[in-house]
Amino acid sequence: MTLDSTRPLFIRLLLLAFMVLVPPVGLLAHGALEEFAQGLVPEMDKKGETVGRDLTASIERAIGHGIPLTGLYGMDDFFSPVLSANPEIRYLSVTDHEGRVLFLNGAAREMLEPFYTVTDFEVESRRSHKSIIGDFIDLTQPLRGKVGVVGHLHVGIDQNYVRGRLLEIAVDIAVVTLVSLLVAVEILLFVVTFNVTGPMRVVGMVIDKTRRGDFSSACGAGADDEVGRFVHRFNAAIRYADDLFRRLEAYMDEVKSAHFDKSVVEQVGNIESRVRFLFRFSRSGKPEVINEHQATDIRLPLFLFVFAEEISRSFMPLYVRDLYAPIPGLSTEMVIALPIAVFMMFIAAVSPSAALAASRKGSRQVFLMGLFPATIGFFMSAVAYNVYDFIVWRAVTAIGYALVTMACQSYIAQVSHQQKRAQSLGVYVGAVLTASICGTGIGGVLAERMGYRATFIIAALLAVVAGLLIYRLMGSAQPRTEFQTPRKRQLLALLRNWRFSALVLFAAIPSKIALTGFFFFLVPLTLLQDVSTDLGDVARIMMLYPIAVVLLSPLAARLADQTGWKAGLVAIGGLIGGAGLLLPLYSSDLDTLTLAIVMLGVSHGLSASPQLAMIPDLCWTECRNMGQTNVLAFLRLAERVGSVIGPLLAAAFIPLYGYGGAIIALGVVVMSMSAVFALLSFAYGSGPHIEAELSE
Amino acid sequence: MRTRLRRLLAILCLLAASVAPAGAADAPARPFRIYMALWRGWEEAAQGFKDYFTNQNIPVELIIRDAGQDKGKLPEFVAEAKRLNVDLVFTWGTTVTEEMLGRFDDPDTDAHITSIPAVFAIVSQPLGGVVPSLTSSGRNITGTTYLVPTETQVNLIQSYRPIKRLGVVYNPLERNSRVAIDELTAIGEKSGTNGKSGFQVTSIAVEVEDGKPKPASIPGKVAELKKAGVDFLYIPPDTFLNVNRDILTGAALEMLLPTFAAGENPVLTSKALFGGVYRYYTVGQLTAYKAEQILIHKINPKDIPIDAPKRLSIILNMPVARQLGLYPPMKLLGLAEIVDPAEGKRK
Repeated sequence: MTLDSTRPLFIRLLLLAFMVLVPPVGLLAHGALEEFAQGLVPEMDKKGETVGRDLTASIERAIGHGIPLTGLYGMDDFFSPVLSANPEIRYLSVTDHEGRVLFLNGAAREMLEPFYTVTDFEVESRRSHKSIIGDFIDLTQPLRGKVGVVGHLHVGIDQNYVRGRLLEIAVDIAVVTLVSLLVAVEILLFVVTFNVTGPMRVVGMVIDKTRRGDFSSACGAGADDEVGRFVHRFNAAIRYADDLFRRLEAYMDEVKSAHFDKSVVEQVGNIESRVRFLFRFSRSGKPEVINEHQATDIRLPLFLFVFAEEISRSFMPLYVRDLYAPIPGLSTEMVIALPIAVFMMFIAAVSPSAALAASRKGSRQVFLMGLFPATIGFFMSAVAYNVYDFIVWRAVTAIGYALVTMACQSYIAQVSHQQKRAQSLGVYVGAVLTASICGTGIGGVLAERMGYRATFIIAALLAVVAGLLIYRLMGSAQPRTEFQTPRKRQLLALLRNWRFSALVLFAAIPSKIALTGFFFFLVPLTLLQDVSTDLGDVARIMMLYPIAVVLLSPLAARLADQTGWKAGLVAIGGLIGGAGLLLPLYSSDLDTLTLAIVMLGVSHGLSASPQLAMIPDLCWTECRNMGQTNVLAFLRLAERVGSVIGPLLAAAFIPLYGYGGAIIALGVVVMSMSAVFALLSFAYGSGPHIEAELSE
Repeated sequence: MRTRLRRLLAILCLLAASVAPAGAADAPARPFRIYMALWRGWEEAAQGFKDYFTNQNIPVELIIRDAGQDKGKLPEFVAEAKRLNVDLVFTWGTTVTEEMLGRFDDPDTDAHITSIPAVFAIVSQPLGGVVPSLTSSGRNITGTTYLVPTETQVNLIQSYRPIKRLGVVYNPLERNSRVAIDELTAIGEKSGTNGKSGFQVTSIAVEVEDGKPKPASIPGKVAELKKAGVDFLYIPPDTFLNVNRDILTGAALEMLLPTFAAGENPVLTSKALFGGVYRYYTVGQLTAYKAEQILIHKINPKDIPIDAPKRLSIILNMPVARQLGLYPPMKLLGLAEIVDPAEGKRK
């Protein structure tokens, strides 16, 4: 199963965009960073000097009151607020005139004293003296008493701070570049498929027909560009052939009806039937126009829409915390988890009817229908008063989200031929994942610079742009297929298939619990507990999840296809995810959490597509009875149970075990469920026997 | 010009001790007449009270009476204020206030001022004395407190140096000291249980002779405290100790015992090490603000809460610190007003 039919094109475009975009950005960034570094160093010197002057003035005032330098008291309390307010200042110290350290905050005495005792600061005692000790720049200012210089104040500036800041900016640029790259590729892909490969494919199909002598169809009108003109000329050629045929027909009719020689008439009749046998022309004299719909048509609007939703990914629980208002009977954590859970619940509740609506009314209309509540939801989320109305707006957004995503899925399912359906669904997954990378990354940067509320406005605007694209570019004439509506009883019968229920219960649900409980809810909250991480950092770390999924899923899909070892991949994926969540057992630092996020990405990358690919094997009869699409839809619906309980479960764990403990507790849940699945998967066996087993 | 004229007028009226002629030509409104009953003469709080009206451009006529620390004069003041039918009465100090306005549980209408609204200042413990609650007096008076909350004082002492034992010399005849000692003891015990280092309070009363505390007994008591191993001497807001502050702080300094004063005088004009206080001048201004609320904004005094100024003044006596060799922490040094004659000025 190839994930995405446009994947080769996607990768080629990515390479192209990479070559066009990255070198200049890299060059510019490099220059800018150098400039920045050059500007930052004197700026920091200046700041260190200012801080030093302030401290010097205070100390000199104390000395002026007759306090000996050694008698200064409470220096720790005096220095520490200065250190914590100025991250670039690593230490502050006071030495006497012989260079002995009297007071020191922020560094080890052994490191500085050898240096101080051998340096003669008196030479330059007029101004501040700058020297380099290891990684520090030591700014020295003299402390003057009534009798002259009695000692020195040292301000130690951390050179690593500059490096850290530069790295941070470089990473920021990289994130923005990556996102621009992906957005550029999405747009390129859209333009290329919509304007070039799409029409070309139609032309190809029509040529195929003409090769077989069928002149009954023409291509849909192209745009006014080279491709469009080509299509136009090609159609003209077909029409010319059609026209020739009509003329020939008329001539033959004339011969048949008016010729005196019967044998000639007979001959002409033979020729006519021969021609009619070899070639086919449209009856009406107007070739039927073929408009090929492709899955990729909807990719860009879908991408933009999911982008809009994912933009709040990195700060959703933080925003809710800001909007917090008590809800009787619920703990604070529960209230914060509630909007996420409600969002998932509404998606689950609306999706089935959204799918139905999409098949009845057509994808375009449902997509546009869904954009209304979604845009309103995004916009109102930006101006939410407190958590009460915010939950309502999230629910509204969820309704829109369900409608839009179902519309896209149904569109893709309708336009793709049965055998290529799985591939085409890859278009959907690809767009969602790329949007997830972009949205998460940019969302954090935007929220950090403009605030949460403004970022939601941008989400609303993106949704509007998606709507405009659909409105303008997608023809209102949409293919419609008869939708097979499964009865509830049929769906419930699915659960009687133990292989299917095991997959839902012990693989699909725990993976969603980990996603919403850990990734959506706990990760932003836990990451921001560390004062040194800001929103941009959170977003950058969270981007790693979709990146890991994107990198791994094609690999996993190919592996599953070639080896047929699908259950095994799902089991291993589940175990890796569970193990990741258990990592905080060993350490609670940032790197561990980052690793847990990457492992979750690996887990979902490994298991997501084999999970779907397993369905035809597991539910052979059910797929035949009610259609594979419906079985897959039911799996999606069932796994949403996990999406809803994930944040709630995590919120319930926080008061018991704290943030780190809640991750571990969630890990225990996910791990044990995955372990059960791993054990069960041994009993799954391979494909064919299932058919026999179920056809009793 | 106008204000100066008005102030001149007020002083004239004051000298005459009579009603100002209604024809204060430049004042469109009749100036408010305020009866100021003082305990030990004109000082900072009274000045702050007066300056507030000047600065706010509120025409007032001040009728100033000084009891000269003689309780016997107070009934006369009550009678005079009633006779003059003034707009407001200002009382200075615990004694004046309790005698003229009465305790909250003893509303004797004849002996006290009841119908005329009154504001009080420099009352150490108004709560449970003149008022039942600081949010409302429940009657026609309001006022200000001037003592820094004991907990804040303790924090100040602890920020100077952590203490294990706090010593207090007190006048057994004054209620204020007892109250302060009880509060200190409670805080010392409480902070011990809170995980912070607690401290003990050792208190010694001065000797009383003929119903009067004996100033000469003070140095001996300080020596006893020093022997008992106290790290810091606390000077409660006590008139007797305030009057004899030189003896008290001098003795403490001689024995190298650092002192913290709840009032400003022991630090400003004597040899206490440091103190955390609300300046009398600020307290006077705040009291005048409350008077303005009553006179101009017509707010019922019982609706005006009794509180202290927002800004705490830390006063540090630098020569004493030098003599003790016990230098203030840098942070405190940055916040404090420093008394240092060697610098030639008070900052």
